[in-house]
Amino acid sequence: MNLLEIKTLTVRFGGLTAVNTLDLEIQPHEIVSLIGPNGAGKTTVFNAVTGIHEPTRGRIVFKGAEVCRPFHWRTAASLAFFGFVTGNILVFAANIEALWEAAVTAHYQYLKPFPWREAIASVFSYFTANPSAHLEWPLGIGIVVGAGGAYAVWRQSRRAPEIAARAGIARTFQNIRLFDQMTALDNVLLGMDTQLRSRFWHDALRLPLFWREHREAEERAMEMLRFVGLEPEAHRLAENLAYGLQRRLEIARALAMKPQLLLLDEPAAGMNPAETVELMQLIQRIRERGITVFLIEHHMRVVMGISDRIAVLDHGEKIAEGNPQEVRADQRVIAAYLGKRMRDE
Amino acid sequence: MTPFLHRVRFHWILLLLAALIPLLELVLPPGWHFGELLRPIFLMAILGLGLNILTGFTGLLNLGVAAFMAVGAYSYAILTCDIYPFQLGFWSATGLTVLIGLAVGLFLGLPTIRLRGDYLAIVTLGFGEIVQDVLKNLDTITKGTQGINPLPPPTFLGYAFTSEKYQPWYYLFLAFLAIVVLLNRNLQRSRVGRAWISIREDELASACMGINTMKMKLLAFALGAAQCSLAGALWASFLGSSGEPGNYDFQISVMAVCIVIVGGMGSIGGVLLGALVIMGFSRIVLDNFTSFLKAHELVSSTNVLAAPGNWKYLLFGLALILMMRFRPEGLLPSRQVRAELHPGGKSEARNP
Repeated sequence: MNLLEIKTLTVRFGGLTAVNTLDLEIQPHEIVSLIGPNGAGKTTVFNAVTGIHEPTRGRIVFKGAEVCRPFHWRTAASLAFFGFVTGNILVFAANIEALWEAAVTAHYQYLKPFPWREAIASVFSYFTANPSAHLEWPLGIGIVVGAGGAYAVWRQSRRAPEIAARAGIARTFQNIRLFDQMTALDNVLLGMDTQLRSRFWHDALRLPLFWREHREAEERAMEMLRFVGLEPEAHRLAENLAYGLQRRLEIARALAMKPQLLLLDEPAAGMNPAETVELMQLIQRIRERGITVFLIEHHMRVVMGISDRIAVLDHGEKIAEGNPQEVRADQRVIAAYLGKRMRDE
Repeated sequence: MTPFLHRVRFHWILLLLAALIPLLELVLPPGWHFGELLRPIFLMAILGLGLNILTGFTGLLNLGVAAFMAVGAYSYAILTCDIYPFQLGFWSATGLTVLIGLAVGLFLGLPTIRLRGDYLAIVTLGFGEIVQDVLKNLDTITKGTQGINPLPPPTFLGYAFTSEKYQPWYYLFLAFLAIVVLLNRNLQRSRVGRAWISIREDELASACMGINTMKMKLLAFALGAAQCSLAGALWASFLGSSGEPGNYDFQISVMAVCIVIVGGMGSIGGVLLGALVIMGFSRIVLDNFTSFLKAHELVSSTNVLAAPGNWKYLLFGLALILMMRFRPEGLLPSRQVRAELHPGGKSEARNP
């Protein structure tokens, strides 16, 4: 079974077609590379897979299910809830003065005990006196606006990055996007967030669940840092790490999410040869942990050295796919990278 | 800043010092009583901490925290004042007010949370104005510009607070502040705080790590609003009145923003220090300075210097400009920055 299937993916930005009817499948435990000249649409593919861009056409299927928020019964329930709350707020806002007068001003005498029963009865009679104006209209409008607004927000956030992340797709970024003001350890701990169960009251009151998870998570985060060789830098701010270490930290942060698929967007960019070799070893070790790797890279040594399969993208279209030898020999790939020979034209 | 201050948790030192101040008056001559003046500073510190959750941790600029404070003050007043039927005690009214603040934060947050940066700031600015106008015009309930008064004083285990003795008030507000500081610190150094700070740093990356950014921002809104309304409730109990709607104007919101920025965004100790500096400056230094000027007839009573309100904001503005130019991270930047300056203190740097 394929882990990830990209089916006829098309992404357009206005008139520009960044990715055009791309089909790509990734099997579990593979290392697949996506290469192509600058501006070929590689990062756009990643962004579509991780839910940052909405595909114009096509589907992203991960582990047999499309990567988007499903319409669950809980979605319907929360839409109804938002409608109901908005309706009630509107009823309250539309009648507040009259209600107050009917319930409080009419019944309360200074320092005498307040007749709650009668006050509530007056509220009821206030609504039954003119139900359409006092109750039904504001409630109806509120329900429509509240549920409609909530539905619009839900629709827009169907393909949010967090959905892909929770499904098991982790990624790094072409231009490093670490949380600069957080320590390396905290960056990794943040990657673990989806696996933590403590709610804000556990955290605020330091309930036992917090402590249990805190210790466990910190241990695992340190292990992650050790895995990428960053343990000595655990307590340094991310922005103060050297460039190569930042790249590794980003990988550690992504691994902390316990993903099944890891997308690496040019991990070797700006690295020296020694660092590049270390990176290749790191990617191999990641695969050994049972994680599938989908890679964008310009360094041909990295791409040819570790990929099981390579897909080549040019002007948004896949022009070749195969193992490194096949791709290296492909005429269209050579043409895309080096330009066509004058004689052939 | 000396290394000492970097190693010890600054907010606890400040709170401890504050707890000692009334004791100091036993030895100092009369006329040296600062404790009384410090009470509003505690309340502004709670307000500043509420804003700090939003602006300091999560990076959402809110220019309308005075509205949350007004909601707190008026809710507390309606719940306790004897011209209304509820007449709750101090503790239950304060508790309910915090819940009301939470609900109002959610109510404002839900439709606006998808806005970014400046747009959100403008919405909150508008919310601040709307709340004032609603309070002014809903006079069957809020008594319009009169405000709701008198409010009964708080009681604690049968002891009623009076206006003659300030020490009980002082410790009451200090206790509230300490609880708020503790809760904020716990939140900051846990899963929630980490998520908030990551949203401030890079929202997209945060979402790609599986953080539900909308939910976390909404939580920040609700908790920040709850703290601001707590400040409002305490303020009302302190004044014995809800105050008039105009008291909760833009100036209060800006004051809170100043406190957070001057102190150091996202740093709890910084906010406490900011509240001390800003409020101490406006309430103690400026007031004393102008009365000194008047007493010695150095300026005529029509002179602009004679009323502190006239030029207070001029100085605040200047302070902010200087701050941004020379120390943008605030007087007391957050722990991560300090940890980085002193890598030796390992345990200090463990959490944000």
